[in-house]
Amino acid sequence: MLSQTVVKRLKEIVGEKNVVTDKVGLLTYGYDGTLLSGEALGVVSPTTTDQVVEIVKLMNEHDIKLVPRGAGTNESGGTIPSQEAIVISFTKMTKIHEIDTENFVAVVEPGVINFDLQVELAKQNFYFPPDPSSFKASTIGGNLGECSGGPKCFKYGVTRDYMLGLEVVLPNGKVIQTGGRNFQSEPGYDLTRIIVGSEGILGLVTKVFVRILPIPRAKKTMLALYDKVEDASQTVADIVAAGIIPTTLELMDNLLINTTEDFTHAGLPRDAGAVLIIEVDGYPEDMDEQVKTIGEIASKIAKEFKVAQTAVEVDQIWTSRRSAFGSVARVRPSYGVNDITVPRSNFPKAIGGVLKVAKDFGVTIGVVAHAGDGNLHPLILFDQRNKEETETVHKAEQALCMMALDLEGTISGEHGIGLVKKKYLDKEFTPAAMEAFRKIKRSFDPTNRFNPGKIIDL
Amino acid sequence: MGVLADVYEMLNTCNKCGGCHTACKTYKLTGLETMVARGRIQLIKAVADGKLEPNQEYEDAIMSCLLCGECAVTCPNGVHGNELVMAARRDLKLRKGITPFAKSFALKTLASPKRLGMGFRLFGGVGKSVLNKLDGMDYFRGIDIRNFPTAKKQFLEQVPERIKVQNPKHKVGFYVGCFLNYSLDQTAHSVVKVLTKNDCEVIIPKDQVCCGLPQYCYGDFETAKSNARQTINTFLDKYSDAEVVLSACASCASMLKHDYLKLFADEPSYLPKVKLFCEKVVEFSEYMDKIGVNQSELHNSSPLTVTYHDPCHMVRGLKVTKQPRQLLQMIPRVEYKEMFEANRCCGAAGLVQAFFHEVSTDITDQKTQNIKDTNADLVATSCPACMLRLQGGINKAGQKQKVMHVADLMAKAYED
Ligand SMILES: Cc1cc2nc3c(=O)[nH]c(=O)nc-3n(C[C@H](O)[C@H](O)[C@H](O)COP(=O)(O)OP(=O)(O)OC[C@H]3O[C@@H](n4cnc5c(N)ncnc54)[C@H](O)[C@@H]3O)c2cc1C
Ligand code: SF4
Ligand code: SF4
Ligand code: SF4
Repeated sequence: MLSQTVVKRLKEIVGEKNVVTDKVGLLTYGYDGTLLSGEALGVVSPTTTDQVVEIVKLMNEHDIKLVPRGAGTNESGGTIPSQEAIVISFTKMTKIHEIDTENFVAVVEPGVINFDLQVELAKQNFYFPPDPSSFKASTIGGNLGECSGGPKCFKYGVTRDYMLGLEVVLPNGKVIQTGGRNFQSEPGYDLTRIIVGSEGILGLVTKVFVRILPIPRAKKTMLALYDKVEDASQTVADIVAAGIIPTTLELMDNLLINTTEDFTHAGLPRDAGAVLIIEVDGYPEDMDEQVKTIGEIASKIAKEFKVAQTAVEVDQIWTSRRSAFGSVARVRPSYGVNDITVPRSNFPKAIGGVLKVAKDFGVTIGVVAHAGDGNLHPLILFDQRNKEETETVHKAEQALCMMALDLEGTISGEHGIGLVKKKYLDKEFTPAAMEAFRKIKRSFDPTNRFNPGKIIDL
Repeated sequence: MGVLADVYEMLNTCNKCGGCHTACKTYKLTGLETMVARGRIQLIKAVADGKLEPNQEYEDAIMSCLLCGECAVTCPNGVHGNELVMAARRDLKLRKGITPFAKSFALKTLASPKRLGMGFRLFGGVGKSVLNKLDGMDYFRGIDIRNFPTAKKQFLEQVPERIKVQNPKHKVGFYVGCFLNYSLDQTAHSVVKVLTKNDCEVIIPKDQVCCGLPQYCYGDFETAKSNARQTINTFLDKYSDAEVVLSACASCASMLKHDYLKLFADEPSYLPKVKLFCEKVVEFSEYMDKIGVNQSELHNSSPLTVTYHDPCHMVRGLKVTKQPRQLLQMIPRVEYKEMFEANRCCGAAGLVQAFFHEVSTDITDQKTQNIKDTNADLVATSCPACMLRLQGGINKAGQKQKVMHVADLMAKAYED
């Protein structure tokens, strides 16, 4: 429990309404997108950088830790609190300070929801390329905390590639500004890139300078349907080998086609083994040529290839893809999301590996993948209430991670490490590299105050 | 734990994906995780699991839900947050023996006869005179009480039981509902006018009662059932020549058509009769569209820009969206303008507007702004609760638009 003094001070800093200490409130800030949960000492929602500074100082005085939180949709346990910490929720820092279309920069607060930013940008014909499927809920602060990716990342890169600068409150309560609105790199260390993807363990981000782009003049969305998921993975390899870079190259297997169909009724064929969603963008005059080339490559293996004709069709396809993760509880109530990533050329092998794990462990796995990036999300479906099954799932997850590492891949492409993937990190990195991580954490946060226990143990 | 056990699988199907965050207005405007479907569901689950003892904060989370159903249409897992909240309210009622809100109602409202009057008014109940005596108070928690219309006499007492036409093509049973009976009697007259202009004989049973929606929403299934039974029996037994049971209140219509089936799910012997009744229920615009409207007599002397608000129970309950828009556009010289987020809740949501007025007011303010942005002269809708809420919001914002029922606009066009 927080002492009366601390609660009183917190209320003075952020106002009565922005402090939660009752059981009901705490419960709702104890979970995220994973199956884990915890209970914090309190939840505080600042609205300005100054308030954040005051909170950090107060927590330092009382030796209380802080767990930063955006929308709490992460898939790594990154916002799960404990009884030694308060949650600092950024959902009330939602100002879009500036949209500067001349310099391709927007300045926003961390609690701005990705979708809300897209809506504002679209009014000026601009957009922010990183678009995790959770973009209607997830915040810019959370996106950068996890260095999230999305369907557009094949061509456009991940969140990291769109972060120009940050305002950060450090564990000692001091505020620094990294980078800024300039595109050229700043002198000195690239602190922006150290903070991005650091899952809230190094600093609290209170302002973000993001790079924005004009909306491409034209785009085309295609669907290729396959009998088997292995076939789809071959087209992926073929497209990459041909040196073509679509905006999007997304794969969903039969299980996901069916769960998303239950929700969207978009008309994807329920008997298809897999579907590839392929999108290209650019100048109108280039579209036909690109579609033709991709069509030729896909048609070698696909049982059907089609180009979406109307905006409604395109919309439906995307609703299906975006709801993929969300929709699997229709089959079984619990799921474990894996986030393994392999070099593109190894993508077919990774698909083979996933199928083997499913067979070896006798578990149900649905696959959705940002195939162009070699990033796979095998979703293992189960029921958490069944202890034995849950055990098997953990083993299968470990096998998936090991498989990815064998293929020169990584255990996490975009969801972060948090608590869930922590135990596999030293399988990927050497002891020396792990020590380097620890040193960086200690130099920012010597007393382990920010998001303790996430990514690495000190 | 029966009620929650019944919905446990659905509670457990929520995988906390956050997909409902954009859908849920109470979250959008508060940024509080207790005020979003995901949070509410996790809390209900905690209660079902015995990890949380219901307390005031829990009740607030459950009671502040608008039951707008937005989360249900957005959830990729097919979880219906609104239904889970309903189950939680029922569970609270069974646990405590009194309707949730009753406590706060007693404490916060009974203390003030003025507010009590207000509360009853909201349900279209009694206490009419109280309102007129209010001094110095124009808005009660964002509700425009000064302009809150009161029927001088109940609509049911103003009309005969049968209104005949010369060459009847249809016989329509008119379920009036509390709001049209006690408050917006003019709209009820409009409905009759439009029906008779379209060769419908109108049957208006005198012994009809409240549909039971308010009680149902707050967990009092017993009262809801007794009202439902009377409604069903009246229309099916005493006025069996009515081909349809028509309602011009989206909320009532959705209750009569869909919720009665749920309400009587545990009474298999009565259920066939309920089904028969539900099949007869039709909403005003839906019906007019179905029978085809006499357009030649619709007149309108001056150009009019009209926009339309989709009531929750209309768009997500009855799933009727096209028909009212089509009817409006049949009226000569009407220019139709769609507003932004036309299908999002207006903020009324039964008692939420009284007990969680801050969030309600924020929701209504957004709606009012969306209306303003269309430059429309008039807002049409299909739910009297929305009409009152919207008009209140518009007046408070100092805007000029008038809010009318689709039936009002049509009736006016038949008079012109
Ligand atoms: C249905 C679904 C689909 C998803 N799709 C994708 C996808 O396509 N691609 C993808 O990459 N991810 C995806 N995710 C995972 C998740 O949505 C992303 O990681 C997202 O960026 C998290 O944002 P959030 O606002 O929910 O952050 P949170 O979960 O609240 O936080 C994420 C991390 O950032 C830290 N953090 C938050 N705010 C700050 C701040 N201001 N300062 C410092 N640290 C902060 C937190 O401590 C935490 O470690 C998906 C999740 C779901 C449930
Ligand atoms: S109710 Fe549905 S959309 Fe909301 S968090 Fe649960 S599963 Fe996701
Ligand atoms: S019914 Fe409406 S207010 Fe209630 S949880 Fe769902 S979206 Fe939110
Ligand atoms: S008043 Fe209208 S919009 Fe509001 S909740 Fe009721 S039906 Fe929905």
